[in-house]
Amino acid sequence: MVRQIKQKPMNWTERLYVFEACRGMWVTLKHALRGLLRYETLPTVPYPEIKPEIRHTYRSKHRLMLRPDGTPRCVACGMCAAACPADCIYIEAGEVKDGRIEKRAIRFDIDHLVCVFCGLCVEACPVDALRMDTCDTSYVYRNREAFITPMSELMRWDPKDYPQNDIQSQMAPGGTKNKQALEAWGLEVKKC
Amino acid sequence: MMEIIQSKHWVEWLITISKFAFAFVPVLFILLLIPLERRGAGFIQDRQGPNRSYFKIPYFGRIRFFGWVQDACDGIKLFFKEVYAPSGVNKLIFAIAPAIPFAIVLISPCVIPWFAPMIFTMGDQVIRISGQTVDTEVGVLLLFGLSSLSAYGAVLAGWASKSKYSLLGGLRASAMTISYEVCLGLSLMGMLLLVGSFRIDAIIAWQEANVWGIVAQPVAFFCFLIAMIAETGRAPFDVAEGEPELVAGFHTEYGAMQFGLFYMGEYSHIGINSILVACLFLGGYSVPFVTTETIQANIGVSLAVLCGVFVIAILAFLHLLYRYSRWYKTSAASNKAVILREYSLYKILGWAAIVVLSAGAVVSALFFHPEFTIIDGQAVYGIGAALGTALIHILVLLAKAVFFCWIWIWVRWTLPRFRYDHVMNLGWKVILNIALVNLVVTAIIAKILGGR
Repeated sequence: MVRQIKQKPMNWTERLYVFEACRGMWVTLKHALRGLLRYETLPTVPYPEIKPEIRHTYRSKHRLMLRPDGTPRCVACGMCAAACPADCIYIEAGEVKDGRIEKRAIRFDIDHLVCVFCGLCVEACPVDALRMDTCDTSYVYRNREAFITPMSELMRWDPKDYPQNDIQSQMAPGGTKNKQALEAWGLEVKKC
Repeated sequence: MMEIIQSKHWVEWLITISKFAFAFVPVLFILLLIPLERRGAGFIQDRQGPNRSYFKIPYFGRIRFFGWVQDACDGIKLFFKEVYAPSGVNKLIFAIAPAIPFAIVLISPCVIPWFAPMIFTMGDQVIRISGQTVDTEVGVLLLFGLSSLSAYGAVLAGWASKSKYSLLGGLRASAMTISYEVCLGLSLMGMLLLVGSFRIDAIIAWQEANVWGIVAQPVAFFCFLIAMIAETGRAPFDVAEGEPELVAGFHTEYGAMQFGLFYMGEYSHIGINSILVACLFLGGYSVPFVTTETIQANIGVSLAVLCGVFVIAILAFLHLLYRYSRWYKTSAASNKAVILREYSLYKILGWAAIVVLSAGAVVSALFFHPEFTIIDGQAVYGIGAALGTALIHILVLLAKAVFFCWIWIWVRWTLPRFRYDHVMNLGWKVILNIALVNLVVTAIIAKILGGR
């Protein structure tokens, strides 16, 4: 069915153009004066010096969540790699000695040139090991290989950059809830 | 030869020759207009505008002059680019065409009166120096003739470029100029009828004695402004270089400083047109509510008031600067130390200027009593007052012109481009008729009220 939109015919002041033009001029004058007199309220900011606020819900670069002892939470189940529509996650599983979990990841690479930032890997993870809330949106490297982010890179994040109510992040080493979590888990920090 | 030189005193010669410097005022307007346009356009579109380029000076670091350095950089870039012409062009005309609009602009200001005639008494003779460089009876006509000549630049460029786009652009430019020249002349006729003279200084004197042209002839002012904008060939009337249809119109094939000449020609054309509108409809050099005689009688106080106006302007500027600095201090900008250091230079300059101007105001109000000045051992009466008044007049005229420059920019970044046939309709069927009716009505009213 074709939907017909009836346009309101212009009345005579609108057809004269002059008055409507003056109205438009008033609008632009307000904007110009805002820029001149209230420069700091401009919605655009000089980018590299002032960065726009990115929320933690924004899907940006990945990170691997950590246990209180600093090991990655990943159990190498491969759900994220299976869910990934771009096939950008490569996981290699390894053996675990202490018997708490069956497997651990010994390689966890994400190719950020291939990644489409859909967030399906985060949805798929059964142990909340993978998140995309680093707010890091810049990927600047010299060659293609450098875009493949290894596990060590994914684990390098600071709990101080995350809000206090993000308890899962604060349980990682350096976080405010780390001590409590270590007690609750009955773990001790390995010295290595 | 010696007789001509000796017919005037050297003081008179000096002032007369100095007036030739006014030829460069529209060129100086470029320096003002390009940053005004770029930052103004940015602010209108909620952007920042160019603010990156800087030069370094010791201690204060990166100086950006609010984006002005960017325009200087662009100018330098254009200047050092290779001048290039496509094959098959008419070399001579292709090279000459960009210079025409720019050359015209250097000639045009000769008929603009920059100040009321200077009158002073030297010995036993009264010397009168008029405010125009060329004291002619046909001031306005000469200016119109010259400014429509600048269309030749567009037409010849379009013809010589050997490109369809350029040719169409040149055609449109010529058609626009012809149509809107008529409107321009006719809308001014009412004003000329009231004044009874083509001299621009006579028009200004009439406005000073009666009311400003914008009050006496509001319809004519409106038509004149529209025709002026159309004649400059800027948005919303820039059909001659309309990007969607004609790439860049008549200067499609130009690059480097040849394009820069078109660009500068356009901007200085805006400058000269703003000065003209200010002269014809906004009282030119006349200060609102104050007559020239009053200024001359109290020249010391007048100069003090002038200094005061500058001080207030600088204070407003400093207020903005301090607000920005305060905001920058609390912001998360990574370069705030650099910017605050840069602002400290402006603050120092501003406060220094305020101190100097305030001192100047006090000195001129208390001690400037220029009844006579001793030049070459003889007393010259009134030259101090004449020069002071001229200074005030020039600044007032320039302030009015800058206001109109802003209108040009404001209109450009607000209104969408008219279609070509709409432009022609507007010119021939609307503005021309309004101007004619305005002329007839003005003539009848002037006759009834007992004019000539």
